[in-house]
Formats: sequence, structure tokens, C-alpha cells
Amino acid sequence: MAASEITVKLDRVSKSFGEFTAVKELSLAVRAGRVFGLLGPNGAGKTTTIRMIVNITGPDSGSISLFGRKIDPQLQDRIGYLPEERGLYRRMKVVDQLRFFAELKNVRGKGVEAKIDEWLARVKLSEWKNKRSMELSKGMQQKIQFITSVIHDPDLLILDEPFSGLDPLNVELLKEIVLDLKRAGKTIIFSTHQMEVAEKICDDICLINRSEKVFEGSLRDIKSSFGRNSVAVRCEGGDGVLDDPALVSKLVRHADEAQALLAEGADAQTLLKQLIDSGAVIGKFEMVEPSLNDIFIAKVTESA
Amino acid sequence: MKKFLAVVKREYIQRVRAKMFIVSTILLPLVMSLFGIVPAVILSIDAGSPMRVAVVDQTGKMYGQLNQAIFNETSGQEASTNENANERRSFGGRGFGNFVLEEVSSENQSAEQIRTDLERRLRAKELDGYVILPPDFLAHGQAEFFNRNPGDVISRRMLQSALNRAVREQRLIEAQVDTRTRQELFQPVELQAVKIGAAGQERDSGGSFALVFGIGFVMYLAILMYGQVVLGAVIEEKETRIAEILFSSVKPFALMMGKLVGVSLVALTQLAIWGMAFSAFALYGVGLLASRGMRASIPSIPFSHYIYFALFFLLGYFVYATIYALVGSMVTTAQEGGQLAMPIILILVISFYLFFPVSRSPDSTFSFWVSIIPFSAPVAMLVRIVTQTPPFWQIALSLLIGFGSVLVIMWIASRVYRVGMLMYGKRASIPEALRWARQA
Repeated sequence: MAASEITVKLDRVSKSFGEFTAVKELSLAVRAGRVFGLLGPNGAGKTTTIRMIVNITGPDSGSISLFGRKIDPQLQDRIGYLPEERGLYRRMKVVDQLRFFAELKNVRGKGVEAKIDEWLARVKLSEWKNKRSMELSKGMQQKIQFITSVIHDPDLLILDEPFSGLDPLNVELLKEIVLDLKRAGKTIIFSTHQMEVAEKICDDICLINRSEKVFEGSLRDIKSSFGRNSVAVRCEGGDGVLDDPALVSKLVRHADEAQALLAEGADAQTLLKQLIDSGAVIGKFEMVEPSLNDIFIAKVTESA
Repeated sequence: MKKFLAVVKREYIQRVRAKMFIVSTILLPLVMSLFGIVPAVILSIDAGSPMRVAVVDQTGKMYGQLNQAIFNETSGQEASTNENANERRSFGGRGFGNFVLEEVSSENQSAEQIRTDLERRLRAKELDGYVILPPDFLAHGQAEFFNRNPGDVISRRMLQSALNRAVREQRLIEAQVDTRTRQELFQPVELQAVKIGAAGQERDSGGSFALVFGIGFVMYLAILMYGQVVLGAVIEEKETRIAEILFSSVKPFALMMGKLVGVSLVALTQLAIWGMAFSAFALYGVGLLASRGMRASIPSIPFSHYIYFALFFLLGYFVYATIYALVGSMVTTAQEGGQLAMPIILILVISFYLFFPVSRSPDSTFSFWVSIIPFSAPVAMLVRIVTQTPPFWQIALSLLIGFGSVLVIMWIASRVYRVGMLMYGKRASIPEALRWARQA
């Protein structure tokens, strides 16, 4: 699949439930073989957008195409979907559930068994194969749920808040798997409001807020368009300087260093000079890119 | 279609494999037979000591008649002859509410004296009660029964009925009616039901009637047991939050139909197991009776009727099961569903009772309509088929409308289910459910 190919395309799609408009005039394009981050605060319309893509509900107006076609039941089998609202059959054995979900995607026969073993090994749950899901911990269940969305080897994988509630080790594990899938040429739509995670795996992002798109583009472009106006500082003393609103518009202190967003009109040189003049002992002074979190907050506040 | 079958397979295998299924398959017949046996056992517990009753017969004629009547009463015989009286006595002693009578002579003693004496014996527990038959008893038929336990309604009623019989007998004797005539007078009638078929042939429809009643009852039982299971199956994905994953792969209608069919196959499996066990048991029983020289007849029913029985049984089951599915699609928890499902049982009971008016006039307009309306059709149409088989088009129409409405209800249920899921676990009111069903 060529990188320029479009896997999912939304054209001025709207959807409302009664009085409430969930998605308004949304257009976006997900490029093949890339990780597309669908970002936005809670209730922005992310889940409704995804549900329209997977054909659970239809748009009121506008059009959606997948793999260059209008969505139909056959295409549904090429999608893997891990919704935010998810669970497992409590009394069913892990292996039976996975086989069932594969059957629902029209994947059956001998190959399925091998696939199940392979995936269970990959998420380190092989010995749980014949256990009922109610015996599994929440984290384990979540990994099984993840497998249900990839067991049929989909070309398009849609993950809605896939890492919520997972411990860092498992987040790392699933993140690696997602990146492997991307390398294998799969297209991935990744929906979250956790910017730190999105920042690490997304190639492109689309930010929506209050049912409308705020912006869309590659992560690289967005970051550079924001410019380097943030400084990571580690120093002793000089507190008065960092708290000066003429120089620093926002200061976030971490354990041993602080991140300062430069005020408009101020530059890093002036800040450094003032710090030295105030007698602060500087351990670190580095220009950094704005985090996706910063961009997100800035954009959402701006659009509000 | 393959996805539909996948859902059916999952529902079926998961349920049949469950311990609950195996346990209930074995246990329910046991429990049912216990329900049959236990009351009989309890009622017979009392039989140990008969009730000792003294009879003060001031008419001087009644004691013998009463003793005979009491004896007939407890041995459950209407007319008795002297030859086998002894044999009967041994049976009578085992019945419940039996009596031991004792005649108290009223000669040479005033009524006061007798009563004081009896009261004393009553207190000393030598007696359980006494009856005083006044001299004008035969004319007026009024007597008094004194006993320690006035709450024992059964004994009182038996005594009363025995007295009744005794008085009747005595009055006839006094009217100079001879023994043979008396026996003939009490000879019970026998009314044999004979059906006039379309071709003029005569056939016994009593057996088919019982069968229709039985089918109605089994249907009722199956719905009571499995309606809740259908409801639970529909709610399962809501409670476990799997619904959304499923809907990205399978159409709601296929999912709902899959669940309905899967659960129904489980129900049919269980009924088939019971049915086979029962027939084996019945065949064994019939064989046993035959070997002892008794004959049990199997009602002769045309083959086409068996097909109708099966079709209308399935129709009845599915009509009600789909209503449970619809309720399941509207609610979020099984508890809510249980409450909403109550009216279903009511409709079921009402349509079951239509058995009686329809059997009385199977070709009336009323019978026609209730045998077309899906809720009452299964029982009503079967009654009509075994009594005055209606024209084929009516049977076909009833089946068509019935199974058609099953599909329509399931379609509505799947719409409601899907929209309900999109609304994030909100319980639908009935107008809302209708609106959701109309929405895309």
C-alpha cells in the first residue's frame, strides 16, 4: 500500500442525536500505513466519529469511504475495532471467545488456532488460554480484548482509548505491537485524550473539540508551526525571574526541573541573562518543542 | 448468514455445556414429581388413627345405614354390595378422614344423661366426637356433631355426606323401594364423546383434546423457563459491554435472531430429553399394564395433526420468546427486565384460558379471530383443529401471521437494541423504543 493512499475519508460528516450535535461537518483523511491520532477532550465526538467509520451508525449527512469504497458489511471484516466500551463474556474460555470473535469476522478453520496461540504468546498470556475470562485480572482482560480486535488480521485497526487502566509495562507492550502493525502496513486510528501517549505513536493527528475539527495534519508540522517557545530549566535560585509574567507566561515545575513557556515578545536569551544576573546557578537550560499536551490545551482554549 | 450461525453456535454450546443446564435437566423432573408425591404423602399422614365418633341414634333406624355409608365414603365407592364388603373394609381403613363409629343406646337414659356421659368421655379422650340424630332426623334432616376439633373440615364434610347418603337410602326403604330398584336408581351415567368428522366417520377426540391441553401446558412451561433466558441472553452483551464490539462485525438483526434461535435450540434440547425420558417411562408403564392384562389405548390422531402440533407449539414458543427479547432490548439489567416481563405472563395465561370458550364453539367468529391473533393462535388453533378442523387457508394464515410477527418483533427489538446502545445504557420507555425503532 502506497503511503499516499487514503484508507478512510470523511467528507463533511454530521451526526446528531435529537437536539444534541455529536459531530458537525467533519472532514478528514486517514492515510494508509500510518498511525492517525483522533484527539479531543471527553465528549468531543471522537467515539461517534469512529462508530460511523465502523458502520455501527450512519451519518445524517456527508459521506464516508473506506479503502476507496462506500462502507458495506464486507468491508467491516477488514476493520478491527477496540471500542472504549468493551468487555468479554465472563464465563467463556479465553480461547473460545477469541475463536468466536474471529468467526464474526468470517475467519474460521485451522489457521485460527495458530493465530490465537501466536497472539496469546505475544501478550504473554499463553497459560491463560483455557481459563474463563472472569478469572483474569483487569489488565489481562484488556489484552485479550485487544487481541479480539486484531485476530482477523485487519487492514484498518481502530483503537479507542486502548491503554486506559493499563500499567506502564503493558502500555509499552501494546504500543510496540501497534508500531509493529504499522510497520506491517496496517492503518491505525488511535483515539485518546491522553496526549503523552498520542505524541509517542501518532504520525498524523486530528484534534476535535465540541463536535468540530480544530485542526488536522502531521504531528511534525503541527509542532514546528508552534515554534520553539518553551524552555526546560534546572537551576538553584532565580525564582523571581521565572515567576515574572513579562518573561514567562506559564511555568510548570516537575520534580527537579521546570518547564517555562515564554511570554509573548520575550526571548530565551533575555530569560537566560536575567537568570544569571539574579545569581541563579544553572544546571540545565534547553529550548524544547511544545508538548502535544500544550498544543492541545492552547488549541482547545483558543477554539472555546 | 455465517455470522448468524456463529452467534447461534455460541449461545447453544455455552448454555448446553453449562452446569446449570445439566443440573436443571436432571433436577426439574425430580422436583416436579416431588410436587406430585409430597402432597399425597402429607395428606395420608393423618391416616394412622381413625376418628372415634359416638352416634346417638334417637330414630333407632339410622345407625346401620350410616355405618354402611361411612364405610362406602372412605373406600370411595358409590354403590356397594355385601360380597366384597370385607375386602373393602381393609382398604377403607387406609383412607384419610376415616371413622370408627360406636352406637350409643338412647334407651333408658335421658338426653341430658347421655350428653353428660359423652362429654366426660370426650374430655377423657376416649372419643373424638359424637353425633346426635334427633327422633325427627329423617323428616327434617338436622343433626348436631360435637367434636374436639371443629377446624377439621374434611371429617365434618365426610360425615355430612355419609349422613346424606344414609338418609336418602333410609327414606327410599321407607318408601318401599326394593334393593334392586335402589341400586338401579343410583347407577351413574356414562357419556361418551363421539366426533362427527367431515367424511361422517366417528372418532374419539377426547385424547386429542388432552394432547392439545398438554401441548399448551408444555408451551407455557417452556416460556416460563426460557423467556427469562432469552431476556438474559439479550442483556448479556449490555452488561458485559461487548455489544459495541459485536456491532462492528454483525448486524443487530442477525445477532438478535442468533440469540433467539440459539436459546430456543437449548430449550428444545431440554424438552426433547425430558420428552424421551417420559415416553420411555410411559412405554414401560404401558407395557407393564399390558402384561397384567390391562389395556391402555393411545388416541388415534391423524398424522397431519402431529405436524400442526409441532408447528403451533413452535409458533407459541417463539411469539412469546420474541417479546422477551424485545423487553431485553429495552432494559439495561435483568432485574428491570423481570419486572417489565410480568405482563407477558398475564397475556400468556389469558390466551391459555381461551382454550375453554374456543373448545365450546370452535367455528364462531370469536374463535376465528383468536386463532389468527399470534398471542392466542397456538392454543386456539390447535383446539379448532382437533374439534372441527378449519379450512386449510385459515391454518396457513394463522401460521403466516404468527411467524411474520415474530420476525417483525425481532426486527423492532434489534433496532431498539442498537439505538439503546448508542445512547449509553439508557433504559427506553415504550414511546422512546418506538421512536428508536423508526430511527436509522
